[in-house]
Amino acid sequence: MANQRESRLLNAAAVFLFLYSIILTLSPTVRERTWNVSYRFSHWIGFAIWIGCVFIAHRVSSRQLPERDPYFLPLASLLSGWGILTIWRLDSGFGLRQAMWFGVSSAAFAILLFAQKNLSFLRSYKYILLTSGLALTALTLLLGTNPAGFGPRLWLGCCGLYLQPSEPLKLLLVIYLAAYLSSRLPIYQRIFPLLVPTVFVTSLALLLLIVQRDLGTASIFISLYTVLLYIATGKRRVLLAAVATLVLAGLVGYFFIDIIHIRLDSWLNPWNDPTGHSYQIIQSLLAVADGGIFGRGPGLGSPGLIPVAHSDFIFSAISEETGLAGTLGLLTIFGLILVRGLIASLRAADRFRRLLAAGLTAYLGIQALLIIGGNLRILPLTGITLPFVSYGGSSLLTSFVAIGLLIVISNQPDEVESAALASPQPYFLLAALLGFGLITASLTASWWAIIRSPDLLTRTDNPRRSIADRYVLRGQLLDRNSKPIDTTSGKSGTYQRIYLYPNLAPLTGYIEPTYGQAGLEASLDDYLRGLQGNPSSAISWNYLLYGTPPPGLDVRLSLDLELQRKADQLLGTYKGAVVLLNAQTGEILVMASHPVYDPNKLSETGSFLAQDKNTPLVNRAAQGMYPPGDAVIPFLDSFGSVNGIGNKQATSLYEKLGFYTAPQVSVPVSPASPTGELNNLRVSPLQMAIAAASLSNAGTRPAPRIALAVNTPQQGWVVLPPSSDPVKVFSADVVGNITHILSTQDQPFWEWTAGFSGSNTEPYSWYLGGTLPKWQGTPLTVIVLIEGNYPSTAQGIGQQLLQTATHP
Amino acid sequence: MSGPIVLGLRILLILALYAFLGMTLLTIWQDLKRTGQQAATHKIPAIRLDVQMKRRAAVSQIFSQPEIILGREPACDVSLDDATVSARHAKLSYHHRQWWIEDLNATNGTSLNNEKLTTATVLATGDEIQCGEVCVTVNLGGDAIVTPTRRL
Repeated sequence: MANQRESRLLNAAAVFLFLYSIILTLSPTVRERTWNVSYRFSHWIGFAIWIGCVFIAHRVSSRQLPERDPYFLPLASLLSGWGILTIWRLDSGFGLRQAMWFGVSSAAFAILLFAQKNLSFLRSYKYILLTSGLALTALTLLLGTNPAGFGPRLWLGCCGLYLQPSEPLKLLLVIYLAAYLSSRLPIYQRIFPLLVPTVFVTSLALLLLIVQRDLGTASIFISLYTVLLYIATGKRRVLLAAVATLVLAGLVGYFFIDIIHIRLDSWLNPWNDPTGHSYQIIQSLLAVADGGIFGRGPGLGSPGLIPVAHSDFIFSAISEETGLAGTLGLLTIFGLILVRGLIASLRAADRFRRLLAAGLTAYLGIQALLIIGGNLRILPLTGITLPFVSYGGSSLLTSFVAIGLLIVISNQPDEVESAALASPQPYFLLAALLGFGLITASLTASWWAIIRSPDLLTRTDNPRRSIADRYVLRGQLLDRNSKPIDTTSGKSGTYQRIYLYPNLAPLTGYIEPTYGQAGLEASLDDYLRGLQGNPSSAISWNYLLYGTPPPGLDVRLSLDLELQRKADQLLGTYKGAVVLLNAQTGEILVMASHPVYDPNKLSETGSFLAQDKNTPLVNRAAQGMYPPGDAVIPFLDSFGSVNGIGNKQATSLYEKLGFYTAPQVSVPVSPASPTGELNNLRVSPLQMAIAAASLSNAGTRPAPRIALAVNTPQQGWVVLPPSSDPVKVFSADVVGNITHILSTQDQPFWEWTAGFSGSNTEPYSWYLGGTLPKWQGTPLTVIVLIEGNYPSTAQGIGQQLLQTATHP
Repeated sequence: MSGPIVLGLRILLILALYAFLGMTLLTIWQDLKRTGQQAATHKIPAIRLDVQMKRRAAVSQIFSQPEIILGREPACDVSLDDATVSARHAKLSYHHRQWWIEDLNATNGTSLNNEKLTTATVLATGDEIQCGEVCVTVNLGGDAIVTPTRRL
């Protein structure tokens, strides 16, 4: 009976792992969206080793223990196989090692089943076993190493094989306590003399672990000691004492031991330090959030972004690739192991087996909950492994010996009466605590994966966005004649943004994995990334299939590359800005800002650019705020006489000119001066250009536009309307008067050159110019601003640009 | 394209995981049902009690339930209408594959083969139980009548 059931469940587990392996093999085709890729095959070795070992383990247990509980082996095997494949997916070298260790663990499992049916060996040699465990752990103080080459030295290593003695030590402690308490409890009536040897031994082990800074294992020790003592004696004050000890130890640790302080701080306030001590936990939560409900699929997420994903954070890696569906399944598997463990304990024929089974169940349950809780930010992070799943030979071996012992204990015929039980209370409490832990973990995983997922995924420190950019074509930025400005080249997997006209960099910005996004690349990101303009069904379908947005959409800008080139040429090495507007429609034809930088070389120059005191990253045309000085005189001319203008009149004029409101346009702009400001008024060249456009457009200030249209897959080019309305500033007569005063002799333009040289600030030179109201062609306005006292240069640039624009 | 194919496989993967869990739970459920049925059909060997009261003919009763109460109350399984018997005098129960007798703090006490009962004691065929002045003789498995009880 038991054999049949076990083999049926093992077959189901094999089907699951087989499907996992197939998806992993095909995963590169999905990532790169072509069949012409190098497929992943190496993990099939791990699958084959798993099949072989599980088959042997099943045969041995069928032969040796026909009356065993048939659920332990399938549950544990599924977890291990899942672990091996996940580790292989993260790093095939670690995967192969884990598969080898699975072989070793199965061998140990088989030997245990052959050799030990009555477990008397464990009872007789409890002190020798525990002492050798302690000695090995103590040895790490002298000879300890770390396979990674850094970090805590908790391993003993030789010839490429590493053992972490604190893993088997947990098991040995459980065996010792179960043996000691089961033999002594009936003799001693008072609890104190009973406890002396156990307290001594446990404290010794704890001390070792605290000296080693292996605090996760130390807290497991305290919990295991408490659970065993409580189950053996049934006295509730044991629990109270343990809780008090843990809280006290936590407080002392918080104030006196650095690593506990750091761990607790990064647990309580992770968002304060997302790149430092909280980096791991935030990356872990991002992985859970990226998994969502159904997961990205094996091989299709990016769990490798979490540090040590294969060991401490394997739960998050599994969350990302199989989603909440997989996570809940994993938690259910652990829950079933714990339930079967407690049943085995209650059915056990003698007190030693009963205590041992309870202790082993508690060991598996507590360790799993501690690390899952750490991954999900329910508990502070402790560097321990997830039993059966995490990478680590010592951990896998220990877990398999534990499950082997549970299977041996569960093997008894129905007729055998179980040992007398004083009170079932401790079992109820233990089951309730473990169940509560698992339910909390499920709810928290759902919280991060569903409710908080959208917030987390749009965080700028989520590297998945820039990874997606390498696989999905980003939309182009085009000028008004459909000449490309920014484009993407390469093939899926190596897509790269190319900036064809680098002089526009202060305006168009960049998109780069390290430095993020800026300029139009940032403000038009939703179109360029395909998140806007595509039908929402396409977006969710792409997300479901690939975990990425659909291909991006091209955006046509109002810029005219010919005029832009001319403006850049004229401005040359002067620091300043040029804006040329279509005065009627508000379309920005030219927006130059100097000095410039080359966004194609951002990865090398980025760190210098941010500190450059010439601030090439700033778009002076829209983000530079300058004192207007005498540049406002043409507008003040509307009052007839410059003298005797009240503050109130000036304020209301500036209000209408838009000096107190930031222009509503896709270009990132600086906030405007507060309403009513006169002496410290600051105006960007773009604001000035919009205001001046009213003089070429019969008194109406146009709404600025830069993004004209977006190329959608269904409707073709869709016009993007301006985001504000034109404002009537002057009457046509007033404009006629002003432009008449400002008009030039031989050209159909009005113009005004002004400077500002305050005592404390740098001098600035402004040039305002535009077509006269009677001009028959496209009405244009140009603004030139130069940092420094160069009014005639500014005038020259403005005039030449107007000339070129009006006489193409 | 590979995307939809792999999506199908991913759905199958999740289904396989839950099929595994479903099978496990189903087997545990079947297990539970089987254990329950076994417990329900668990055979209790019949016990025959021959009651000998003063100045009356001996009466025989056969029981197959796991618990029998002896006492003066009519509601008792074995009702002993005698002044020296307490309302609920003694209890016979079947567990650990044995019939056991226990005194229920009766005023006049219970004796087994003329020895005062202090703890639960295993019964054998031919044992004589004295409840006050009433004598009950135990006969195990003599007339085996087997009926399943309703208890799980």
